Amino acid sequence: MNLDFLTPYGFWNPILWLLVIFVTLLIAYLLWLRGNPKYKKGTDQTQPFLSGYAPESKEAMMVSASNIYWGFTSSLKGYYDFLRKMHTGDVRDYLGWYVGIMAIMLLAYILWGGA
Amino acid sequence: MPVPTKSFDRSLWVFHVNTGSCNGCDIEILAALTPRYDVERFGIKLVGSPRHADALLVTGPVTRDMVDKVKRIYNQVPDPKVVIVIGSCGISGGVFHESYNLAGPVDKVIPVDVYVPGCPPRPEAIIDGVVKAWMKLEKLRGEKK
Repeated sequence: MNLDFLTPYGFWNPILWLLVIFVTLLIAYLLWLRGNPKYKKGTDQTQPFLSGYAPESKEAMMVSASNIYWGFTSSLKGYYDFLRKMHTGDVRDYLGWYVGIMAIMLLAYILWGGA
Repeated sequence: MPVPTKSFDRSLWVFHVNTGSCNGCDIEILAALTPRYDVERFGIKLVGSPRHADALLVTGPVTRDMVDKVKRIYNQVPDPKVVIVIGSCGISGGVFHESYNLAGPVDKVIPVDVYVPGCPPRPEAIIDGVVKAWMKLEKLRGEKK
């Protein structure tokens, strides 16, 4: 089975890619093997160093995706509050929006479209 | 003092922790790293995490607020490890020995291997203390093998 592909962007072979991934993982494993094996698991030795403070739960320490665009959502707060009010979670509301918008579009088509 | 191995196994990485020092000893530790003394040429290097360190360099008496932190930092250093106390305050409390907010000298909180007295000790004395701790570490490593 020939797996060589010549695409407009160049040569591509999935087997070669698998080989590259395997070699990369092998190098990573060899580097990992060179680490200090004497750390005692389950003790402070394997805990992150936070200037001597006790580490909190992962959830409390992680930076969530919403933190990254906090400034964006904060500056557009009025817009987001309006959008949140629209997202009631009630299917009947969503169907109402759907039917309403369809009716407006149909009316616009009847009045000005088709010509 | 005989060196346990013909050549030192590897460089000595040191983590420095201030448990309530006036910064006098800390300045002398930094002086030991300046070009005049340049301990890095011997492989003695300050590191940013106790998890990377072989030795703990402690300055100052231990304030009540630092007790749990210094214990945790000590526990985070991988074994075998050595602790060096720099300065009179860490050894005895020094001028702060009667202070209401001290838990005591360093050896009341964590085990100590080498004491370097002085207020503050000169960089030569600090280097001498670190070398003594290094030799003890080499012995501990030899025992573990």
